[in-house]
Amino acid sequence: MLLERDDLLATLGNLLECARSGDGSLVLLAGEAGSGKTSVTRELANSVGDTAVVLWGACDPLSTPRPLSPLHDFAADPDSGLSGLLDEHVEAVETFGTVLARLKGTLRPVLMVVEDLHWADEGTLDFVRFVGRRVADTNALAVCTYRDDEVGPDHPLKLVLGQLGPMETTHRLDVRPLSVAAVAVLAGERAVDAEALHRLTDGNAFYVTEVIAAEESLPGTVQEAVLARVGRLGDGPRRVVEAVSIAPRSLEISHVGLLTGALVEDIDETAGSGVLAAEGRFLSFRHELARAAVEESIPMARRLDLHRRMLSLLEDADSPDRARLAHHAMRADAADLVVDHAPLAAQEASKRGAHKEAISFYESVLSHPELVGDDRVAEFRLALATEFGIVDRQGEALRQATLAVDHYRAGNRTDRLAAALVQVAGPQWSLGDAPSCRATIDEAVELLTRLGPSRDLAHALYTSSHFYMLARQGQFALEVVKRSAAMAEEFGANDIGWSARLIIGCIEIITGAPLRGLAVLNEIKEEAERGDDPHRVAKTLGMLGSGGGEARLYDDAISALDEGIVQGLAADEDYAVAYNRSWLARIAFEQGRWNQAVEYAELVDRTSSTGVGIANVTARGALGRVRVRRGDPGGRELIEDTLQLGVSYELQHVWAPLCGLAEHEWLSGRAQRIPVLLSEDYGRALDTDSQWARGELGFWMWRAGAIDGPPDNAARPFALQMAGEWRAAAEAWREIGCPYEVALALADGDETACLEALPTFDSLGARPAASLVRARLRDVGVKNIPKGPTKQTLANPAGLTSRQLEVLGLMASGMSNAEIADELFLAKKTVEHHVSAIFSKLSVTTRAKAIVAAHELGTTQK
Amino acid sequence: MPRYLVERSFPDGLEIPTTSEGLKACLGVVDGNTGEQVTWIRSFVTDDHQKTFCIYDGPTPEAIRRAADVSEMPVDAISEISVLDPYFYVGGQS
Repeated sequence: MLLERDDLLATLGNLLECARSGDGSLVLLAGEAGSGKTSVTRELANSVGDTAVVLWGACDPLSTPRPLSPLHDFAADPDSGLSGLLDEHVEAVETFGTVLARLKGTLRPVLMVVEDLHWADEGTLDFVRFVGRRVADTNALAVCTYRDDEVGPDHPLKLVLGQLGPMETTHRLDVRPLSVAAVAVLAGERAVDAEALHRLTDGNAFYVTEVIAAEESLPGTVQEAVLARVGRLGDGPRRVVEAVSIAPRSLEISHVGLLTGALVEDIDETAGSGVLAAEGRFLSFRHELARAAVEESIPMARRLDLHRRMLSLLEDADSPDRARLAHHAMRADAADLVVDHAPLAAQEASKRGAHKEAISFYESVLSHPELVGDDRVAEFRLALATEFGIVDRQGEALRQATLAVDHYRAGNRTDRLAAALVQVAGPQWSLGDAPSCRATIDEAVELLTRLGPSRDLAHALYTSSHFYMLARQGQFALEVVKRSAAMAEEFGANDIGWSARLIIGCIEIITGAPLRGLAVLNEIKEEAERGDDPHRVAKTLGMLGSGGGEARLYDDAISALDEGIVQGLAADEDYAVAYNRSWLARIAFEQGRWNQAVEYAELVDRTSSTGVGIANVTARGALGRVRVRRGDPGGRELIEDTLQLGVSYELQHVWAPLCGLAEHEWLSGRAQRIPVLLSEDYGRALDTDSQWARGELGFWMWRAGAIDGPPDNAARPFALQMAGEWRAAAEAWREIGCPYEVALALADGDETACLEALPTFDSLGARPAASLVRARLRDVGVKNIPKGPTKQTLANPAGLTSRQLEVLGLMASGMSNAEIADELFLAKKTVEHHVSAIFSKLSVTTRAKAIVAAHELGTTQK
Repeated sequence: MPRYLVERSFPDGLEIPTTSEGLKACLGVVDGNTGEQVTWIRSFVTDDHQKTFCIYDGPTPEAIRRAADVSEMPVDAISEISVLDPYFYVGGQS
């Protein structure tokens, strides 16, 4: 039994009962090392007996953690029902999904324990985040233990705690130090001063029990207490204890004999003494503090020898555990073995999505360059650069790839040099150095072209076309990518061929053959779906959404963006979700759905963790433009601040917000300032073949009188308007579905057209534009100009506003207030207000009656 | 938090009786604002009751608009404002 843990255990027991009835939750159980977190979770697991399924996993204190260690533990437990969990070629997200399915819909609730999260690798943290966000609908209680005193502000666990902490299904519990009274109970008959012991140990449960077991007058530290206890063992058992201490978590009993020559009796004695615990085929320390104390105490030569013997044992295993091998190789100071094992451990970690671990393995190899040889050093640097790129450490990626380039430049390997150059170009672009990036990729293409057609050249051409597409140099990119596609086919490189077609589709959408581009993208999306390749599907959806959005092909873009968001949420791809939402904000702005534009934009800012990325620029640009068109304060400032944060954005990300600044000046009667604002980027646009950038930037330059007519190859509605064809322009905008632009075109026309524009501006709430039109009509002497927006007439018998109708419709579909708040991006409190207004207008007092009344009114069909 | 002046029009005239009904109407607006973290400071009403000038604290103009939507109040224009005090400069002329 455990002292002073009854309340904690009762709380956990209650949460497990809730899980039984389908209300799952996640507990973050914090406490310092030795406070008794494991004892609490073990006690809980024992007490539930057969009434719950127990999944038990732990993270290791390996110098580089084994990827997804707790999931390996689940898979190794024959009772878990998860034995095939980590088969080769299974994506991490699928694995997580399998565990999640195990947590759902069982008759017995599931107690899932993940121990020592402060040692977790990235993959495990992803897993905990994945489960934590979805635990509500499971029959599971997930308990994750960690040492809160070891989680500093930069610890990777901190971010996960921050993300999961505010959720309603997350609970934080502490394992507190023992009181003096509890220490006295533990001391029992022993001649120990309980108060002095409490002072010494701060009530740390492990420390207290070690001191009592050491049977010495109070030792100064917990290490001394542990060693005093070990010191009382005989020679044989002590060697067993030492051998187990070099294994980070536990050691196979079969290995103990081989490592030390120890007898069965010796092993039994260590387990009997309470220093070690035997569980199944393994021996382990009762606590990591004790293991570390013993390992530290072994003389250097013997410790190195133990690690070396351990290495040879592990090497003989049927399926060697690479992370474990690399750990012992590093500890054995056996550089040659580090060099043997760490690269494979790195590849394995990378495949499991544990990129930070892969980096650590590659770095340990690269600290012994003399053993590796220059060519392999360069290869490892390229692999390391790839890993750095994935975790968004672009500066280090650039450094490693550049070192590899330097090596190959000195030698004769043109093909390797070119491959390294391709790797340099990526980080250059991400770091905002687009000109260097294009120079680098040009050199790679040139070098490979000299060697004749190859798979490498096909890849370099594809990469090059991608960068030129991003710069909106569409015609050039198109020529390059077509060569890439043809060469990829010649060499049977289907992956390159697929990527090349993605670029082709995207370029066609943006530079003038939008329907052909859409067809290409839809075709390869279907291919990716048939091939069950979620990465490719997601990539295509992103291109369809942003490319379709830029070309104002709204229906196709919106459905791709919505689909991309659903998929991104399921896979925890926060960046893709934010990017897609930012495009929904921009599209909603252009379509005159300004409330929705605001909602999407605010959501992007609230949920993205990466600071001001491209998604934030697009979202804030849309929000700023809504303010400008409404005449609300802060629009110009928001756009200016956002653009200032990233001087190196590509044209495609900045032209729309810039046009917002130009419009603000025009609406404020200062059109003469527009050319200064836009001329540089208008010049950049003329170097590209992006029709819409040329069109919109050109339009505002024309409005300010800086140009007389449309530039070549400008998007049609803008070109018409710049040519003075306002009626045709309005018609074109109407077809595309941009009401504000329709009215803006009409406002260039005669009195009748201006009178036609007014109600559109008024109903959008576009006050500044409406005022300009009214002023012009007054100037030319028009009488009876309609006054501002008349009070909205309410179209339905109960007098509900449009927002209330929307809420009522969702109520009728069975949603709770919280779900409606999520759906409409409103605060829950705001929804409650709408609901009570609906009740009072419908003269009802319950939700059910409101829904019945809604059906009678026929309002739910809307 | 920024301060805003919100102009509203009531073509039929704004009538808030000085009774418990009026109190309820005002508190309803206050309550409706809390979801958006918007605070109504005070309002000025023209003598014909057709226009109001209302001072609000709120995080963004969008939050002011959503709060108005909840309370079913019209919005003509929103301006961000700060205080100019007639005697602010008096002490500075020494």
